[in-house]
Formats: sequence, structure tokens, C-alpha cells
Amino acid sequence: MLSIFRFIARHSAYLYFLLFSGLSILIMQLQRRETLDAIRSQGMAVNASVSEELTSFGDIFNLRDENERLLLQNARLFSKVIREETALRDTRNLNEIIRRDSTRVGRFFVARIVDRRFSPMDNMLLINAGSRDGIEKDMAVLTPDGLVGRVTAVSQNYARVMPVINKDFKASVVSDSSSTLGVLSWKGGNEYVAHLENVPTSSRLKVGERLTTSDHSTFAIRGIPVGRVVRISGSKLFSEVDVRLSVDFPSLSYVLVSSARPSREKLEIMKAEETKTEPKRK
Amino acid sequence: MAVLAVIQHFIFSRVVILGASPDILAVFIAYVSVIIGQRTGIVFGFSAGLIAGFLSGNPGLAALIGTVEGFTAGFFHVSPDSHPTMVKKRRMFYSGAATSIAAGNLFQALLSNPLALPAWVRIPSMVILGTLSSMFLAVLIYQLALKRTLRD
Repeated sequence: MLSIFRFIARHSAYLYFLLFSGLSILIMQLQRRETLDAIRSQGMAVNASVSEELTSFGDIFNLRDENERLLLQNARLFSKVIREETALRDTRNLNEIIRRDSTRVGRFFVARIVDRRFSPMDNMLLINAGSRDGIEKDMAVLTPDGLVGRVTAVSQNYARVMPVINKDFKASVVSDSSSTLGVLSWKGGNEYVAHLENVPTSSRLKVGERLTTSDHSTFAIRGIPVGRVVRISGSKLFSEVDVRLSVDFPSLSYVLVSSARPSREKLEIMKAEETKTEPKRK
Repeated sequence: MAVLAVIQHFIFSRVVILGASPDILAVFIAYVSVIIGQRTGIVFGFSAGLIAGFLSGNPGLAALIGTVEGFTAGFFHVSPDSHPTMVKKRRMFYSGAATSIAAGNLFQALLSNPLALPAWVRIPSMVILGTLSSMFLAVLIYQLALKRTLRD
């Protein structure tokens, strides 16, 4: 008996080891039992809640990045709002312009060309519509392709039209892309090509740009197509610009006469200004 | 002990390299076993393993591993009667820690396979990487805290 106690005392560590290992193995075996399962699930619950807290604690460190991301997103949305508000405003303005212009377009009189005189320097058209039809001097004559000319004389049933291809014809035009202003004229020769005057060499006008009548015109409403720039050659102060006319004059047979004209008030004030300045020049 | 189990479970268990992670509990089990004694080490290892096991969901295995670590480290117990030097205490602590941690990791690799790794990868990687990472922790803890207590 004493020897047994002595053995136990000498090897108590081994016995401890065996005892606690046995206990551990027992727990491992009992782990599937309900009580231990409950304890284990409680442990899991504690684990989950602490993990959640730790995760939310870690989120504090991510707040700065999150804040930056939100600021960027905010900036993107803000710029989008500005862009869309601008587009909305522009659309509103354009609609307003269209509404106003439609009231100014007026109506068109259809007329047939009954006579024409084509020469290298002086071209003239005669149309079968006159004052009885409502045609007045200085009305713009056009086709769906573009500007034909202006009415220079009116009789009861006929009207004389000075076409673009007349050396005395001048019209203020503007380019669609660079908004370059210039005066359209024709110097004789080719019936398809006119010239653009008063275009400074510093202008951003490019070959291929479409030209339309401008607001500065004294007879035509703005926006009537005139032609397309086909050549630009530089000189000292002004560029020499060739314009391919959009109207095919040799095959012209019918034209439209526009009743819409620039504001009379505008023309009167311009005329008054001219009469004031003319004596000074002399 | 509970604090250590919580630290182990929520911090060190998350640093996993091929199934192995540093084990702060094993370091303290080794310390208790080497400095105080093998029996205390076994009891400490079992209890600490049990607490950690309840958190991880496998108390039996964790308790067994803790018991094995306490038992193994106990072989490097330094009796105060022998008036050991500081160097001897340190050497015995490191030896006990390395042996017990390796034994604990071996048991863990044999009895569990959380990452479903093949045995030829799992056993060496868990034993080597687990022991190395825990030993790194042991050196750190020794230099920061345990060194002062061993001076007394």
C-alpha cells in the first residue's frame, strides 16, 4: 500500500497528465451532448458578439477612407447636377429661341423663274410674283437648298431678283462651327463659287464649315444656308475664302420668297446711324 | 487565464499561416510549467485550453492540447531549490516553450484539419510555422514582461 502511494507521489505529474487528458478526451466525446452543445453555442454567441464589436471597432479606422469615397461621390453627383441643370437651362433657352424664331420665319411665296440673264459679271432673275402677291423690295429669295438672292424691284405681277452670283450682291454670313462673320460676295466667273470678305487671318474658320445668313443681314433672316467653305488662303490682314454655293443656279426654276424680314426698327436705327456718320466721313 | 484566452482567440487566432497561428496561451502555459512546476502547468494548460476552447467551439481538443503543452514544458521545470541562474531560467523557458508548443501543434495537426489540407502539408506546416510564430511571440513576451519576473 505504501509503495503504491510512493509510486503515485513520484509519478504524480504523469497521473495528472493522464487525468486531465482523459478529461479532455471525455469532453471531446461529450461535445455532441446537449449540455455541452448549449455551452458551446453560448461560447459561440459570446465569440460572435465580441467579433462584431471588434469589427465595428475596426470600421472606425476605415471611416476616413469611407468619408473620402463619399466626398468624391458627392463631388461627382454635384457636377452631374450642375451639368444637367445647365443642359436644362440651355434647352429652355433653345426652346425660347425656336418659339421666337418661328414667329419671325413668316410664310413663303412660291414663284417661278420666268426670265434670267446670266453673264460672267451681271446675273439677274425675274420671278412671276409681284406686289399683288405680297412681294416687297428687299425680300429674301431662297430655295430649300439655300439663299438665292434678294428682291431688288417689284412690279404688280413680277419681281426682279439679284442673285448671289451678282457682283453687286452682298450678304452678311456666319460660319456654323467657329461663328466667323464675313460678307459674301461674288466676283464673276464660276457660278458655283463665291467669296467671303472681311475674314481676318486670325480667324478660326476652317475648310468645310457651313455658312448661313447672319443677324447682321439687312434683308434675310438668320440661318438661311449659303454654302460651304472650300478654300482658305492667307494674306496680310484678311484671308481669301472661297465658298461653294449651296444653290445650283443653272438648274434653278422655282424659288421661295420669304415674307419674314429683319426687324424694321433695327433697320431704321442702322440707317439713321449711317446718315449721321456719312457727312463726317466726307 | 481568461484574459489570455480571449486575447488568443480574438487576436492571435486570426493570424493564420497554412493553418498555424501564434499561441500566447502556449507561451504562458510553458512559463507556468517551467517556473512553477509540471502539475501546475498541466492544470493551467487544461483550464486555459478549456476556456479558449469554449470560445473557439472545441473545448475538448483545446483542453487536451493545453494539457499536453503543460505536461511537455514541465520536463524543463527549474526547481528554485537548485538556485538557478538567470541564463538557465531563460534557456529552460525557451526550450520548454519550443518543445511544448511543437507538441501542442503536433496534436492539433493530428486531431484537427480546419483548412482541409493534406496531412503531408498540414502536419509539417502547422508544427513548424506554429512553433516559429509562437516562439517569436515567446521571445517578445519574455523580453517585455517575463524577464523581470524571473529576476526575482
